[in-house]
Amino acid sequence: MERERAESGLVFDFQPFSVHDGPGIRTTVFLKGCPLRCEWCCNPESQAPHPELRHRPARCRRCLACVRACPLGGAVEREGLPRFDRSVCAECPDRRCVEACPERALLVSGREMPVPEVVEAVMADEAFFRNSGGGVTFSGGEPLRQPRFLEAVLVALKSAGVRTAVETCGDADGASVDAVAPLLDLIYFDLKFADPELHRRHTGRTNELILENLARFVGAAPGKIVLRFPLVPGVNDDASNVQRIARIAAGLGIERASVVPYHPMGMSKYAELGRESPVDPRPVTAGDLERVFSAFEAAGVSCELA
Amino acid sequence: MKTARFADREIKGTPSSERSAALKRRYLDSPLMVDVEYIRWLTRSHRTTAGREILERRAEDHAFALEHLTPVIHAGDRIAGNKTRFIRGAIPYANYAAGPFLRELRREVQDAQQRHVDFGEGGGIERSRAEAAETGSVLFSGKFLISREELSELREICEYWEEKCLMEQGDRLWKSRFAGAEFIEDGWKIGLYTAPHDPCPEGRLVLDFETAVSKGYRSVIEEIDGRIARAGEGDQPGVPFWRAAKRSLEGALRFVERYADEADRLAAREPDPAREKELLEVAEACRRVPALPPRTFREAVQSFWFTYLLGHLEGSHLGYSPGRLDALLHPYFAADAGATFEEAVGLFEELFVKMTQIEYVASLSWQGLGHGNLYQNVILGGLDEAGKPASNEISMAILEAQVNMQMTQPTLSVWYDDSLDEAFLLKAAECVKTGVGYPAFFNLATFVRHERAVTGFPEGTIRRHAAIGGCTEPTLQGMSYGIVQAGFVNHGKLVDLLMNDGVDPVTGTRMFPAAPLGTYGDVVARYKEMMHAAVRNWQQYWNFVMRAHRQTVPLVFCSVFVRDCLGRGLCMDDGGALHNGTPTTLSSGLVNAANSLAAIRKLCFEDHTCTLEELRDAVARDWEGEEPLRRKALDAPKWGNDDDRVDEVFLDLFDDYCTFVPGQLNYLGKPYDPSMLAISTPVPFGKACGAFPDGRRAGEPLADGVTSPFPGTDARGPTGVIRSSSKVDHSRIRGGLLNLKFHPSSLGGERGSRNLLALVKTYFEKPGFHVQFNVVDSEMLRDAVEHPESYRDLVVRVAGFSAYWVEMSRPLQEQVIWRTEHGL
Repeated sequence: MERERAESGLVFDFQPFSVHDGPGIRTTVFLKGCPLRCEWCCNPESQAPHPELRHRPARCRRCLACVRACPLGGAVEREGLPRFDRSVCAECPDRRCVEACPERALLVSGREMPVPEVVEAVMADEAFFRNSGGGVTFSGGEPLRQPRFLEAVLVALKSAGVRTAVETCGDADGASVDAVAPLLDLIYFDLKFADPELHRRHTGRTNELILENLARFVGAAPGKIVLRFPLVPGVNDDASNVQRIARIAAGLGIERASVVPYHPMGMSKYAELGRESPVDPRPVTAGDLERVFSAFEAAGVSCELA
Repeated sequence: MKTARFADREIKGTPSSERSAALKRRYLDSPLMVDVEYIRWLTRSHRTTAGREILERRAEDHAFALEHLTPVIHAGDRIAGNKTRFIRGAIPYANYAAGPFLRELRREVQDAQQRHVDFGEGGGIERSRAEAAETGSVLFSGKFLISREELSELREICEYWEEKCLMEQGDRLWKSRFAGAEFIEDGWKIGLYTAPHDPCPEGRLVLDFETAVSKGYRSVIEEIDGRIARAGEGDQPGVPFWRAAKRSLEGALRFVERYADEADRLAAREPDPAREKELLEVAEACRRVPALPPRTFREAVQSFWFTYLLGHLEGSHLGYSPGRLDALLHPYFAADAGATFEEAVGLFEELFVKMTQIEYVASLSWQGLGHGNLYQNVILGGLDEAGKPASNEISMAILEAQVNMQMTQPTLSVWYDDSLDEAFLLKAAECVKTGVGYPAFFNLATFVRHERAVTGFPEGTIRRHAAIGGCTEPTLQGMSYGIVQAGFVNHGKLVDLLMNDGVDPVTGTRMFPAAPLGTYGDVVARYKEMMHAAVRNWQQYWNFVMRAHRQTVPLVFCSVFVRDCLGRGLCMDDGGALHNGTPTTLSSGLVNAANSLAAIRKLCFEDHTCTLEELRDAVARDWEGEEPLRRKALDAPKWGNDDDRVDEVFLDLFDDYCTFVPGQLNYLGKPYDPSMLAISTPVPFGKACGAFPDGRRAGEPLADGVTSPFPGTDARGPTGVIRSSSKVDHSRIRGGLLNLKFHPSSLGGERGSRNLLALVKTYFEKPGFHVQFNVVDSEMLRDAVEHPESYRDLVVRVAGFSAYWVEMSRPLQEQVIWRTEHGL
């Protein structure tokens, strides 16, 4: 599942003035493709390692221009609405439906971006980084699943003096950790469950490799790791899980944790991709945050809100 | 209570004392009133002064009025002096423009622009309307109450001024002698220009408060006596102005004396000993200043306020401003051992309520364009003459007072320089995060470059006197003529005319002869040619009006405190100011013009998607049945994304405008200075326009500000907007305006404040000139549309001014909601 390509990467979003993914004003580059299938994922378009068609019903005026434009029969009309056969769409080379839509209700998530294009787009905001103590953050999806591309971009940006960060779920080849760790100023490392079985049940994969990579990052880039905990009420916020995670962090000498409260803003995107929405957890309360913060702090790990 | 569907503002200050809270509440609960007192006495004098030299006549009439105004000290006031007898009062300056008032009295349409302008209905306006219905008072000019007796008096006064006022005298001149008269009148009809500015032409002026406060009027009068004595017998040059100047100061001192008497009178019958003491202090201050230099900080504030108010009374000002209030008052604060920071904050809270209480009544068109705001601007920070940071404790107290009060006026500004101290800048960011939209940030270095080129003054002089007069127009305080200009040229309407071969598509009026457009080069050349004609006619027309200004309403009192009118013996209208290059030629809507030309180039001359005729037809149908083509028009490059394909179009038009405007001399014999601003023009200007080739639909507002992108077309975030905007050489214009709107969550905490300041710093390095921020959740604004009763004191940024949400018109509310919200 790892991409071998070095000269370009599959990017699904590019967000300038990003202020929640590290210090200062940053540009966050979202790489597409993730090995995990977290139930609460708010970026479902980040998961599949190939471009995907999205249909936004809120914008659709049911003109069916997409149906008329489709040469493959992937877009068909049903009850006045366009419907998309995702297996056909996945193979579509030119996406004429997107071009045809006057309302921009259709879009494709995921675009192949050559290294120089990414570097140039990031460097456009270099002055903002410099004045704010910001930089670039690679997020996803799982950025380490495009290791050669990531490494090439990081080398270029690092040599231009840009401060670099990643947000990783840690589920990647150990060699890719070794390759990128020296090029990073900050690593947000996600840990959702301490227990391997719970991890598998809620994300689709166990956490052995993840914990191995966490230790590997600590070894390769000591002092640069922030442990990120996505707080999903009723799923991973029970006391024992939070305490175990805090102890893992403390045990590795990680000094900072950052809590990302679950938000439901990505839920509509499941329908846009033609997928079922997962169960929607309840919103995070101030009490939830307080409990999690004190668990980390009790273990000697300072805690902040992402 | 409803659950929060939106993020609230991060900072919500509250008044520092029960007094301040009560003053604010009283303001919010008061209706708007017209007060005829000033114009009654001015007119009574004018009936008897015929035949006198104009400056002396003007001074006599104004002084006579000052000497008869009722001194009103409201409960709780510690600073004496009001423009009218009412909490929210406006003076109908019939000596400027009686025509619109007479047409209002006859319920006739005032001017061609009126139909494009919308009005707010809530807050104090709602209060006025309700009281009119209950009490039998009359509702005047849409939102002001006036008693039946005063209304009939106003009618008589307006009839007296009908032929004599500035507007009528100006109209006579240009309508009979100006070859472009028809073009101007057609321009108004089609919405190429804002309505005639005669009802409120002055302002964008900052007086020399430093001299007024530090020397005191008595010493100025002595100086004038000396000059008159030196000139000797006979009507020597300068003498009429000096005599007029002296008369205006004497009237002013009598006005102040009456306040001292009133304070004593109130004190004598005051049962509460604490309030009695306060009133006696007020009386004592009024007996001291502004005649003599202040002894305390409090007297300095009182002295400033009297001079400020007296200048405000003389003219029909918009944009008349206090300027560098922190630099002015800090020496008195520092020297006053008894003055505390808390006292200063409290006095500023009171002062800012007083400033917000000033209303203006003018033509409905200008009331709508200004949305009731007088654009009073206080600018903080900056550098001193030697180049050292000038922010001080008073800068902090002023920011603190507005964090607490969130009054719409004065709008606060910061002269930004990298060397300013961090605590001051963080305090400024905190104030921004109340959601009020001020302080706006201005780049001092950019203005210094502009003013160096225009005046040749030394850098230190420019730094020391740099201020903002009005929304976003920089000036040199105390030494410049105001910026008295005709109003705005609408670039959007030029797009209409471009697309329709010189004919206005909305009214069918032909403005320019037909001309073939074969190439994209022809299109650009045609746009510029029309822009030149629109600008040239506008400038010439206004020069005629200002000749009439000199003959009807020259500003005498204000001239006393603009250097070097006294030295030269000339009022401002005669070129007495050291700097006469401030009058500007204003325009707005250039972003839409650039987007439109870029779309034409892409669709008709590069991709050959359609011909120019086909595009014209689609636009004429307001894109009806042309959705695929409109999609392509929307996909064409748009300003605000750091995309050279359109940014270069903007820069070319901007450069052409800046080069063309100074080619014509103003009425003081200096080149007109190019400027671009917005106030609320994007809404009425857009309403007057058909659909544009850039995909905009007919009637939609234009892009706001000067370099703000069209809503929704800036896809690359605020840094992309700044990168586009920073390509513009802002030092070429007197003004500039960039609005950025952020969701509160994206600027939260001190970290958010630092990011905000980093944006400012980066933009100004490039170098930009002006940026201001709406930090408010659009969802909250939508809630405020639904539930105005919960948002009586919500203030939002519109352009170079902020307004109470509930007193804004619906279309202007929508325009603010519509702006692209960054973050989250």
